Amino acid sequence: MGNTRVFVCENSIDGIFTAVYDAWSSGYGHNNVRIEEQCEKNSYSNMALFSDYIMVKTDFDKAVKVSRSVRAKISEEAYEMVCKAALSDCQGKGDLIYRFLILGFRMGAGIVNHLSNEVVNKVFKLNRNVNGEVHHFLGFIRFSEHENHVLTAVIHPRNNVLTLVTPHFADRLPNERFVIFDGNRNICSLHVPGKPWVIAEIPEADADDYRCRADDEYGKLWKTFFNSIAIKERTNLKLQRNNLPLRFRKDMTEFIPDKPISEL
Amino acid sequence: MIIQEGMSLQRKLEILSDAAKFDVACTSSGVDRKGTQNGIGNSVACGICHAFSADGRCISLLKVLFTNECIFDCKYCINRSSNDVVRTSFTPRELCELTIEFYRRNYIEGLFLSSGIMVSPNHTMELILEALRMLREDYHFNGYIHCKAIPGTDPALIEALGWYTDRMSINLEFPTAESLKNLAPHKNRKNILKPMRQVQLLRESNHEYLGIRDEGLLPYDGGHRDGGGLILGGGRTDTGDLIHVKGSHMDSGMLSGDSGHMGSSLIIDDGGRTGSGDIILNDGVRTGRKGLVPGDGGHTCQDLASPVEYKGGISLYKKPPIKRSRFVPAGQSTQLIIGATNESDYQIMSVSQALYDSFNLKRVFYSAFVNVNNDSTLPSTQDGPALLREHRLYQADFLLRFYGFRVSELLTEKSPNFNVFLDPKCDWAVRHLELFPVEVNKADYRTLLRVPGIGVNSARRIIAARKSAVLDFKDLKALGVVLKRAVYFITCGGRMMYPVKFNEDFITRELLASSGGTPSFIDKDITYRQLSLFDDVNFKPDEKFIIQRHSPV
Ligand code: SF4
Repeated sequence: MGNTRVFVCENSIDGIFTAVYDAWSSGYGHNNVRIEEQCEKNSYSNMALFSDYIMVKTDFDKAVKVSRSVRAKISEEAYEMVCKAALSDCQGKGDLIYRFLILGFRMGAGIVNHLSNEVVNKVFKLNRNVNGEVHHFLGFIRFSEHENHVLTAVIHPRNNVLTLVTPHFADRLPNERFVIFDGNRNICSLHVPGKPWVIAEIPEADADDYRCRADDEYGKLWKTFFNSIAIKERTNLKLQRNNLPLRFRKDMTEFIPDKPISEL
Repeated sequence: MIIQEGMSLQRKLEILSDAAKFDVACTSSGVDRKGTQNGIGNSVACGICHAFSADGRCISLLKVLFTNECIFDCKYCINRSSNDVVRTSFTPRELCELTIEFYRRNYIEGLFLSSGIMVSPNHTMELILEALRMLREDYHFNGYIHCKAIPGTDPALIEALGWYTDRMSINLEFPTAESLKNLAPHKNRKNILKPMRQVQLLRESNHEYLGIRDEGLLPYDGGHRDGGGLILGGGRTDTGDLIHVKGSHMDSGMLSGDSGHMGSSLIIDDGGRTGSGDIILNDGVRTGRKGLVPGDGGHTCQDLASPVEYKGGISLYKKPPIKRSRFVPAGQSTQLIIGATNESDYQIMSVSQALYDSFNLKRVFYSAFVNVNNDSTLPSTQDGPALLREHRLYQADFLLRFYGFRVSELLTEKSPNFNVFLDPKCDWAVRHLELFPVEVNKADYRTLLRVPGIGVNSARRIIAARKSAVLDFKDLKALGVVLKRAVYFITCGGRMMYPVKFNEDFITRELLASSGGTPSFIDKDITYRQLSLFDDVNFKPDEKFIIQRHSPV
């Protein structure tokens, strides 16, 4: 038995798809290859001793080939599942996707229901997790208004959900110029009326520039509403915390103190 | 009455939201609507929660009163005319700007507008109508609107309103007409049921016009919700309890009464038995499709289903509906106050069932009574509102709407209240052990739904997953089944997980010992979700809850 060949790729849909293409066409056999996406958690310290590492250069054409055959030979649903898995923050998702696709090309469209299979179940759970976070952000994102009516929001998502949440807002606010900034990845989505929205990398950006402004009148009104709508007799902070976990709150208008702590 | 002129918007919002906080809004809008080019807003059927207030309840809508002035004197309400509180109103424009600016910032999904009664029901409704018209037509707001209709409003205004709002609701307030009379002396059942029927009929004719079929309440299997067809465990029917209620029943038996029969007692029950001293959901409103609505004005129901002209004053709203627009697309809901009067759970649930069956309501909300006025003629709520009871009613309500249960299976006149310790579904299951265990690999959807620990989502997943494999207990866990509860009621491949002795006491004890058993609501240490048997008790979209329950991979 030879060494395992590890295809190390970029942590993105295109990166992982390219690796799938390379690993598949390498001819080493599925059992002798592994895909590893690059991320902070996957540092070289856990490199395995008896493995050959192959650096995959993201190739858009190869990625498109993979996505095309997933859609044609498995199903749209499977394609969507794989994409969402690729956006999750789960370590090892690249290889999981590879195993899922091996099975998918064998089983066809039925794979999405084959939940008693471990690989399928894992992909399914990643999807649930990503969908859940997306759904949270559809509600919890807070815009505030800046000069020229530009709306900005900051999020700190676990999964890379920006591409999944932005279409909702582009549909909902077609006439607004807005920016949603992912403070964990320093990327943002930009929307201008009448144009398709885009994702941009802004490595130097500071989340504070996009955060809720304390002087937004409607922010104050919202806080008023938020406090008066609660029924005192039913106060239940634990239930509140279960429904609205603390990790979201630092970016939400109603939980940000009126003045920065330093000025209090 | 204290009316302050020139009050700040901040103060108005504070007063008018505080006064609206007991109205229960629903996050599930039930309407999917894409955004429009020149407007603002869309609507998502599954609903979106935007925040959770300190009481843990979801905030998805700007929930406010239009005014807290009121000429009525309902005992349970902070706005009653005899109370000495500061009164104020929004202008239609203020309300529009608040809604739009909140919506742009993604604070809300839309507007939930309720109101006290200023001058008269018609006067108030006209102002509200103007506000909604402005919001839709001038501000091009395309998001979600839920509007309360005031009992006693002219049908023409109700109809006009229905073209602007997604959901309409008229609060029934209490399960019996008698309680309503005692606690809300200016309201009466007829004025509540009549607009409800009107909206129902208008929706039906609108659907017919547009060729839309209203979806059934029990999803996934074509929307049959008759208890009679229910067969558990291959062929056994419990005929004693499950009496067939056909669609046609709605026209005759349930809820009906002859128009002359003011207050006649026709009970709402699966069997359609009549008896006195039972629940009356009727003050003479004939519920037959073609019957006359007696009393006020004498519109026939057919009249009610076709556009009516409002003779009250403004002519602005006479215009016929824009082609292809939808009338109250998200349907109707209503609210019952729990614990201010002494109706039993059985009475309450029977009313809900009748409202679902015959008025085609989308939701009945239950609101635990809080004695805000410290009215000595009403029960004290010093020890806190009846949250557990409210919770049990919501659980049972889910069983009616999504699990194919009938009230008569859950409660009877002899045992008219829910078990404090066991939720309604477990309670039902341990009383029907003869129907269990069921084989997970074979049982149909409706049978699976009846198993404690299996919810709507997990039942669907089971059915999908067993197409490609024979399921075992470990698979069930992955599918989101709460095994702790389900084990007593299922087999996998003919085998039970543990050799369980099948008797009611034993299982009850085991269920109580598991975390879902004894709720300790009093110390508020246990959440709704932990208490819940269902995948989706919190009216949330598909996957969200399971994710939180099982930690992410
Ligand atoms: S009608 Fe009754 S319940 Fe409604 S605001 Fe007036 S007093 Fe309150």
